[in-house]
Amino acid sequence: MFTFLKNSKGLLGMNARNLSYIRPNNLQGAIHLANNKLRSKEALFKAGIPVPKIYGVIRNRKELEVFKWDDLPKSFVLKPNCGSGGKGIKVIFGQKKDQSWVSTEGGKMTIKDLRNHVMDIFEGFYSFSGASDIAFFEERIKLLKILKPYSYKGIPDIRVIVYNKVPVMAMLRLPTKESGGKANLHMGGIGLGVDIATGVTTNAVMHDQLIEKTPDTKFKLSGIRIPQWKEILEIAIKCQEISKLGYIGVDIAIDSERGPVVLEVNAHAGLSIQIANLAPLKYRLKKVSGLKVKNEAHGIRIAQDLFGGEVEEEIEDISGKQVLGIIETIKIGIMNPEDSGLGIKNEEIGKEAGIEIAKGSTRSMEPTKIPLSRGELEEIELKAKIDTGADRSSIDEELARKLGYEKVIDEFKEVVKDLEIENNVTKEILDEKIKDKLDKWGDDFDTVVIKSSHGVSYRLLIKMNIELSGIKLISKMSVTDRSHLEFPVIIGRRSLGRFLVDPSKKTRAVFGKDAK
Amino acid sequence: MSNIIQLIASQGVSIETIYLILALPFVATLIAAFRQLIGVKSFGIYTPLVLTFAFWAIGIKYGIAIFLVIFITGTAVRYILRNFRLLYMPRMAIVLTVISLAILALLAVGGYLNKTGLAATSILPILILITLIEKFISTQVEKGFRTAAVLSIETLVISIACYYFIIWDIFKNLVLDHPEYILLLFVINIFLGRWTGIRLSEYLRFREVMKNVDK
Repeated sequence: MFTFLKNSKGLLGMNARNLSYIRPNNLQGAIHLANNKLRSKEALFKAGIPVPKIYGVIRNRKELEVFKWDDLPKSFVLKPNCGSGGKGIKVIFGQKKDQSWVSTEGGKMTIKDLRNHVMDIFEGFYSFSGASDIAFFEERIKLLKILKPYSYKGIPDIRVIVYNKVPVMAMLRLPTKESGGKANLHMGGIGLGVDIATGVTTNAVMHDQLIEKTPDTKFKLSGIRIPQWKEILEIAIKCQEISKLGYIGVDIAIDSERGPVVLEVNAHAGLSIQIANLAPLKYRLKKVSGLKVKNEAHGIRIAQDLFGGEVEEEIEDISGKQVLGIIETIKIGIMNPEDSGLGIKNEEIGKEAGIEIAKGSTRSMEPTKIPLSRGELEEIELKAKIDTGADRSSIDEELARKLGYEKVIDEFKEVVKDLEIENNVTKEILDEKIKDKLDKWGDDFDTVVIKSSHGVSYRLLIKMNIELSGIKLISKMSVTDRSHLEFPVIIGRRSLGRFLVDPSKKTRAVFGKDAK
Repeated sequence: MSNIIQLIASQGVSIETIYLILALPFVATLIAAFRQLIGVKSFGIYTPLVLTFAFWAIGIKYGIAIFLVIFITGTAVRYILRNFRLLYMPRMAIVLTVISLAILALLAVGGYLNKTGLAATSILPILILITLIEKFISTQVEKGFRTAAVLSIETLVISIACYYFIIWDIFKNLVLDHPEYILLLFVINIFLGRWTGIRLSEYLRFREVMKNVDK
């Protein structure tokens, strides 16, 4: 019982929120502005914050009579200006041939239905105080592809609580079937806790209960990486400065074209965010209270240092490099079977797929980033050893054959068979002897002389498309017999320029597979 | 009985009246405590207060019965009227009309079944109960049926608790003997107004969070 009471200390309850945070920090004028969506939108827009476009405003019955419904686009959102908690919001996502629209709550909406809804808004059904209200039409945010599986019809948004210019806690809110395509939690939306340092989701709640998967589609909810996270935090802090609310909840959606867009600012941000994050809010608010925060970047840094999750993610942020473990799952592109053996066409395939392979002397072996996805090229996935002791990456001969390089490997073996390889032999001397073949194979193939404790070996190098920890590289892999070794592929230093290696890190992908 | 009370009573004011006036601030404080300490929300302070004194006037049994009749009829009529697209005031007037008829029917049935207690009750508290429906309906429209139903049940629970509080003899004697205790309410309410602790309901709501707090 005592630990129970002690644990509750950092919790932010309704009483403390109202008395200790809203009352002293959110002055009446600022609250008024925040509650008026059109006015706060205008203030944010003037300050250069991206907000959804307005298609039209209807202030009274007279304006309703003359409103040009035909000018409305196929999808839009109809909102009451002073509504709260998502009440009275109609999300329209399509138009039928007979000019009627379709709303996310299901069902057709004719002009008459929309008119009636606007009338209800006028009556003040959805406004804070029940006072009469005005209605407006707003741009519907275009759903980001990576969030599509998690959202039912509506648009997910990100709630960030900012206090004293520090983003103290954040939550991703997903619309569900129950919430009628709206992301509000008390209407049945899902709230996902977000690691403030990285923008990766942690826990999920629905109706204040912890859940693991989306109720409708059964997708796992933790581990979603929210894109443009730093930008989102920066925008949230700016919103606090503009709105002059000391304690603010900023709702931001990510538009697939425009990026982060501020939906609204809230003076009375709810407390469920604590459940989604499984973290008490008061504890965090107390920590940042009184700090002198210089600018947005400083505020973000404070939040990341104080409330961030994993350390390795922070290293990635600081260095701009991905952290790899000793064993990583990689993808290797399969050579187009039509060109197998001829081997010359690989670059042309690359061009078709939108890949630009850097040309240059054989000495420039720095991995090149592939600008476009190689959607057309097939690839295989396997575990590779990250070996900082090796200069080059190498691949098992058998595997390289399976990847479509059989003919070239056979030809190489054939010509090399008769070569004398002495200790002081150089690549140039050997290359000269097999020049015909090298010219025939083209730019994707090269050779290398490797000196090791076992002596000197002359190996074939193949330029391969690999994907390591989500980053696409072109790596020259030396072909050798690794059949007696555990890993068919090792990744050497030349391919690791953009990474840091942490021997203690275990990759999630490796774990995930082993667990199965 | 305290001297002041005796003095007022000697001027022809009934003890009942004096008691109810003195009890009102206690009930109001109790409702405030319910909100701030326990987290039972209810519809503001007016609705549970009026409901408490209506129960006191009508009797708890008939009071609850009438409350339920009003609530159920009001909700049903609202649902029927939804398809008619009427403006707020006329719509509410129709709801009140149907409820009035329902109460009239209830009184008639009561009389027929010889439940004289119902017929004998004063009409003013019943009228006040009827008007409370506006609060319920407007909450249903604004916040949805679920929230409105929860708030209504919470209001009912608070009112019943307050009802048993004011019919409690020990409390009654205490107030009439020591009306100066009313000054204590200032202290209690200042404390409640500054209380930033966690409400009882929040312990329940955030139990998962507390389980996960290390240190």
